Amino acid sequence: MGEKIVIQPVTRIEGHAKITIQLNDAGNVENSWVNVIELRGFEKFCIGKPVEELPRIVTSICGVCPWSHHLASAKACDAVFGVEIPSAGKKLRELCNSIAYTEEHILHFYFLAGSDFVIGPDADYSIRNVIGIARKMPDVAKRVVRCRWLGAQMLEIVSGKSIHPVTAVPGGFSKPLRKDEVERLKPMAREVLDLAQFTMDYAKKNIFPQYLNVVKTLGVIQTGFLATVKNDGALELYNGILRMMTPDGKYEDFTYDRYTDYIAEHVEPWSYLKFPYMKKAGGFSMDLNNPVGIYRTNTLARINVCDKISTPLAQIELEEFRKNFGRPAQLTLLYHWARLIELLHNAERAVELLNGPEITSIDIRKLVVPRAARGVGCVEAPRGTLIHDYETDSNGIVTNVNLIVGTTHNNAPINMSVKKAAMQVIKDGEYDEGILNRIEMAIRAYDPCMSCATHDIDGTLPVKINIVDKKMNVIGTLKNF
Amino acid sequence: MDDVTLSYYIKPVLVLGCGNLLFGDDGFGPKVVEYLKENCPVPDHVAIVDAGTGVRDILFDIAISERKPRKIIIIDAMDAGKEPGEIFELDVSQIPQKKIDDFSMHQLPTSNLLRELKELCSIDVKIISVQVEHIPDVVSPGISASLVGSVRDVCEKVLKECV
Repeated sequence: MGEKIVIQPVTRIEGHAKITIQLNDAGNVENSWVNVIELRGFEKFCIGKPVEELPRIVTSICGVCPWSHHLASAKACDAVFGVEIPSAGKKLRELCNSIAYTEEHILHFYFLAGSDFVIGPDADYSIRNVIGIARKMPDVAKRVVRCRWLGAQMLEIVSGKSIHPVTAVPGGFSKPLRKDEVERLKPMAREVLDLAQFTMDYAKKNIFPQYLNVVKTLGVIQTGFLATVKNDGALELYNGILRMMTPDGKYEDFTYDRYTDYIAEHVEPWSYLKFPYMKKAGGFSMDLNNPVGIYRTNTLARINVCDKISTPLAQIELEEFRKNFGRPAQLTLLYHWARLIELLHNAERAVELLNGPEITSIDIRKLVVPRAARGVGCVEAPRGTLIHDYETDSNGIVTNVNLIVGTTHNNAPINMSVKKAAMQVIKDGEYDEGILNRIEMAIRAYDPCMSCATHDIDGTLPVKINIVDKKMNVIGTLKNF
Repeated sequence: MDDVTLSYYIKPVLVLGCGNLLFGDDGFGPKVVEYLKENCPVPDHVAIVDAGTGVRDILFDIAISERKPRKIIIIDAMDAGKEPGEIFELDVSQIPQKKIDDFSMHQLPTSNLLRELKELCSIDVKIISVQVEHIPDVVSPGISASLVGSVRDVCEKVLKECV
C-alpha cells in the first residue's frame, strides 16, 4: 500500500518545516517534499519608509542572524545613497560580522548539529540534546558557553548592542572604537580563536572520522555553488563579488547589482518559498539523476568557490579539505566541516582586525543625501548569501524592496538531499526514529533558518510522523516524545 | 579567568519577552517587556530581556552554563482556544504532550528546551501567556485592541512572580 509519511516539525533547526515522504506500494520512497513557511509581506511593509530606517527595522526579521540583515541593509543603503564608506567604517562592520559568525558557528556545531555527532544519530531523543552534550563534555561545554558570552560582550563593546544592532548606518558606522576598548577586546578575541582551533582539531580527530561513511553517503547531490569572494578570489563574508560555480567547477564572477542576470526564481504549487536557480542553465529541475540549474549557498558553497583564504590557519585547513574532498566538494554533510573552517577564519580575522591600526580611526562615516536610486547590498550570512535590493524616490523614501535570504537559495538542494537521504534509509517500508533523524540530519547540514516566518520557535520541538495511505487516511503515527 | 557571564544570567530571576513585533499579537511578549521597563519598579534581582525571536540562544546558553537563574519567566502570546486577551499561566510539565505539537502557527518557544531546563537543571520555569486574537500571515506590526489591556495585567503578574 502506498504511504505518505509526514515529519513535522523538524527538531533543532531554526523554525518550522514540514517533511512529507511518499512511499510506493513496495514501501520505498517515491517522492518527498520539504515545506518551509516564508516570511511574507515584509517588502510591502518597507515601502513608504525612509530608507535609512531599514537597517534598524530589518533586525526584527530574524532573531537568529540579525547582524547579517543589519549589515546587508546598511550596504544596500550605502548603494542607494551612492557613497563609498570610509575604510575604518568597513572594518568595524566586518569586525562585528566576524564576531557574530563565531557565535553562530559555535552554536551550530555544539548545540544544533553537535548532538547528532557527539551523542550519536541513533541515540534516544531524551539525551540527544544540548544538555546531553553538556553532560558528556562538561569542560568543553564551559568553554563553549564562555566563548558565546565573550562574543556577545565583544559585540556590546564594539556596537553597544548585541541582540538588536543599530550601529551600522547608511554611510558607515556610528560609533568609533577607543584604544582602551581594543585592548579589552584583544584577549577576548584570542580566547575565541583558541576555542575555534580546539573545535577544528577535536572534530577532525573525534567526530568526522567516526562518521565518514555517513558523510560520504547521506543526502549527497550534485549541484553548483554561489558565494562571495574578494577580487583576488579569496574567501569573503562581508564585501566582495559574487561567484556562481557550476557542478564541473567552472565559474563566473559578477557584482551584486547584477544578481538578477544570474539568478531566476522557480515556483512550485506546493511551496510558499520560491526556488532560486542558475538563470544561465536555462531551466530548473530537482531530478536527482539529472538536476538542472540547482546551486547551493552557505558554508560548503563558500569553501568551494574561493581560491584561497586570507588567514593562515584557515588556509591550512582549506588545503587539507581540498586534498581530501576535491573542488567542488559535493558531500552534503561536509557543510559541517566547512563551517568549522569558517569559524577558524572568522576568529582569526577578528584578531587581525583588532591588531590593525585603522580600527580606532574616527573617520568611520560619510554624510548621505537622499536621491532616487536603486541599491543592492549583499553579505554572506552564516546560512547563505543574503541579498537586500532597495529602490528609493528623490526624497529617499522606499519604493521597492526585494530580499533573497540564505535559506531560500538552498530550498531546492534541501528538498533534493531529503529525498536522497530518505531513499537511502527507508527500505521496504521499514523505518524508526534513528532513520528519521538521519533524514533530518540532511536538512540540518544546511543550517536552514525559518524563524523569519515562524515567530519565536527555536526548533527544539518533538518530531511527529503521520503515516497515511494513498487516500490520505492516517494508518499510523510515530513520534519521539 | 575573568567572569564574562552576561548580566542577565547572573540575576536570580530572568524575565524573557518572546515574539516578533512584526506579526501582530505575536509582539505581545516584547510589548510587556517595554511596559515593564518604562513603567514598573523592577527589583534589582530581576533581569528583563526582550528576547524577540532569539530566545533560543539565551536558553541554550543557560542550559550549559554553570551559573543559571533560579527562575525563568517566559512571556509569550499563544493560541490556546481561549477568549482573546485572556491571561493564563502554564507550568512546562503541565503542557499536555500532544498540545506541544498542536500549537500550529504560534507555538510555545522552545518547548522541549524549557522542559529540559526545568527537569534537568532544576530551574523554576513559569510561562505567562495571553490568548491571541489574530496573528497575521503577512508582516503587520501592532497587537490587537483586545490584548492592549492585558499588557499591564501581565506586568502585575510578572512582578508578583519575581520573588
